[in-house]
Amino acid sequence: MHTSSKLTKEFTKKWVKGLQICCSSKKNMDVLERKKKIKLCADIALASAKNATTSWSIALISEAKKEGENEILVDNLLGPESPFKQQKTIPLMSACHKRVRSKKILKRSCSVGQRMKKMGPPKSNLAIYIAKTLVKKRTQVLQRLVPGGESMDEFSLIKEALDYILSLRVQVDVMRSLAHAAEVSNQSDPNVFG
Amino acid sequence: MEKDGFFNTPQPWNSLFGMELESQVNEMNCSPEQLPNCFLSRNWDHSMDQSDPFESALSSIVSSPVNSHSGVPIPASENVVLKELIGRLGSICNSGEISNSTNTSCYNTPMNSPPKLNLSIMDHQIPVPIPGSLPIPRNHQLPPAPFPADPGFVERAARFSSFGMNESEFPHMVESGKVSRRVSNKQCFKTTELSIPIPGSDKKFSRELDNSMEESSLSEQIPIGETGNGYKGQNSNSNGRKRKAIPKGKGKETQFSTVSAIDNKTIGELEKEESDAKRSKSGEEGNGMEKEKEKEKIKEEWNRNQNQKQTKEAAKLPEPPKDYIHVRARRGQATDSHSLAERVRREKISERMKFLQDLVPGCNKVTGKAIMLDEIINYVQSLQRQVEFLSMKLATINPRTDMNMEALLSKDTRASMLNTMNHLDAPAQPFYGLVHARPENPLTSMMHHGSNMKSSQTHGFGEASAFWENDLQSVVQMGFQNQGPIFHGIMGTGQMKVEL
Repeated sequence: MHTSSKLTKEFTKKWVKGLQICCSSKKNMDVLERKKKIKLCADIALASAKNATTSWSIALISEAKKEGENEILVDNLLGPESPFKQQKTIPLMSACHKRVRSKKILKRSCSVGQRMKKMGPPKSNLAIYIAKTLVKKRTQVLQRLVPGGESMDEFSLIKEALDYILSLRVQVDVMRSLAHAAEVSNQSDPNVFG
Repeated sequence: MEKDGFFNTPQPWNSLFGMELESQVNEMNCSPEQLPNCFLSRNWDHSMDQSDPFESALSSIVSSPVNSHSGVPIPASENVVLKELIGRLGSICNSGEISNSTNTSCYNTPMNSPPKLNLSIMDHQIPVPIPGSLPIPRNHQLPPAPFPADPGFVERAARFSSFGMNESEFPHMVESGKVSRRVSNKQCFKTTELSIPIPGSDKKFSRELDNSMEESSLSEQIPIGETGNGYKGQNSNSNGRKRKAIPKGKGKETQFSTVSAIDNKTIGELEKEESDAKRSKSGEEGNGMEKEKEKEKIKEEWNRNQNQKQTKEAAKLPEPPKDYIHVRARRGQATDSHSLAERVRREKISERMKFLQDLVPGCNKVTGKAIMLDEIINYVQSLQRQVEFLSMKLATINPRTDMNMEALLSKDTRASMLNTMNHLDAPAQPFYGLVHARPENPLTSMMHHGSNMKSSQTHGFGEASAFWENDLQSVVQMGFQNQGPIFHGIMGTGQMKVEL
């Protein structure tokens, strides 16, 4: 998995960088805060490691930027890429939202008529209807899970989910290995702790 | 012998269909109706009723011999012919029967039998090819020129032969065929049969779900061909047109559908192979549009055929086949570009789903979009939770020393990562379903609560939570009990993030 190893390295580098920035800014942090920071750094690092190739990464970064605190962090992490991302995200998201909204309205208006038709021969169509609703529900859930998923149609959603799963895996592995290493080092050197 | 046999077969068939089809129909109809749960009986009904297309198809192909032999007494020759065909095609059916409903063994049947037929035909240079579509690798044997009648012919022969075989075996075959088909359907993602176990309308539901699922037209045609639209005539017609429409041997898939009618049991395997063929093909997206157009043509023709059917058959048809036809007719009636685009889209989606199957652990057995999506959702959720968990762990383990963390990163993690890189996939996946058996005691309480909350929601995760609970009981709590409520709060927020 060449791509995953590359991704791993990129992610690790950026994460470390982000953590450094984080820690340099504040010294005394609550566990909660720290955890949040760590997670944030990890997420941003992961997203930036993608170099804006996937929409979920763009969405993730744009979400992170919304909070004023994180902007500095994000910008530092991203480096020269950030302006590109900024330019991309705003029109993308607005256009997507508009599209989504109009689509939803259309769908609602159509589905009512369709539902009336569908209830005609109940047996044959009920099953189809049930199946479709099941799939719809699940796609909705997936949309909520994948960052930036609301403004995606089914096909791209699956594609993004694919990518997102891959990168999440990388993230988890890196974090786990780090945690493991930290644990080992702590066990060996308990004085560091506390 | 074989040559003669083959020459003989079209003629008595023609004469059969042309002259005393009805008597045969009645004969044939009796036995299938007696068989229980034989949806093939419907096939028979319809196939028998479809005398006209058969006739037309056959007559168009085998013109002169028919006329000369029209006076042949039907029953005797028919029996002879039947026996010959039974002998030949019975080998398919027999091997199919023996292998029962195991897909792997049944793979042999289409592979073994059709080549024989192919070779026999090819050797004698009779312009009556059996479609090399049976198994995909045999396609190169198929002559590119379109030969319409014989596949339908062969199908019919097969049906008759299979029918002529022990009727006691028939329901067995049929049922196992069903089973194999269902199983193979479930296995082949492309055919995308929803395997939602809603009780009641078993077959019907699955077929209806088939319709609801994104399916390429050919995979639909195959179940239609199975279930039965034993409209062999239509099969032959559509196949004829398919062959005309497909010059380059992309007719692999289409011809598949014809041969799929040959044996009930091999149908499942053929579907699978066809879906494999499709997968291999769908990789080539350049051909995709052409394929789609061809499929579109085929669909249109198919729908026309369906519409041309007598209303009796439509009435006779039970729900399941009608659902296929129902949906497809709708699509056929819609504009071509729409259905084309739809099909392209669906193919793409199924491609992606295939990738996701490889990614998400434990999805190989699962087919059906909803279930796949379910698994994906579970997996994404679990990964996200893992990230949260690990970040919390890192936060607690290194309360002040982020510098240490970096040092660790630089030294240990790289070394360990080199080791773990090889096992990257392994740890990620077991974690998904197994116990996270590390002594992270302060965090286990969190996970306990988290897993308790979540276990009811996601069945896939339920196992993991059960494991965690078991593990938790055995884990010694360290000095983080003071921060219990904090962790509660943390997990609360964390849960709120990922809740459905």
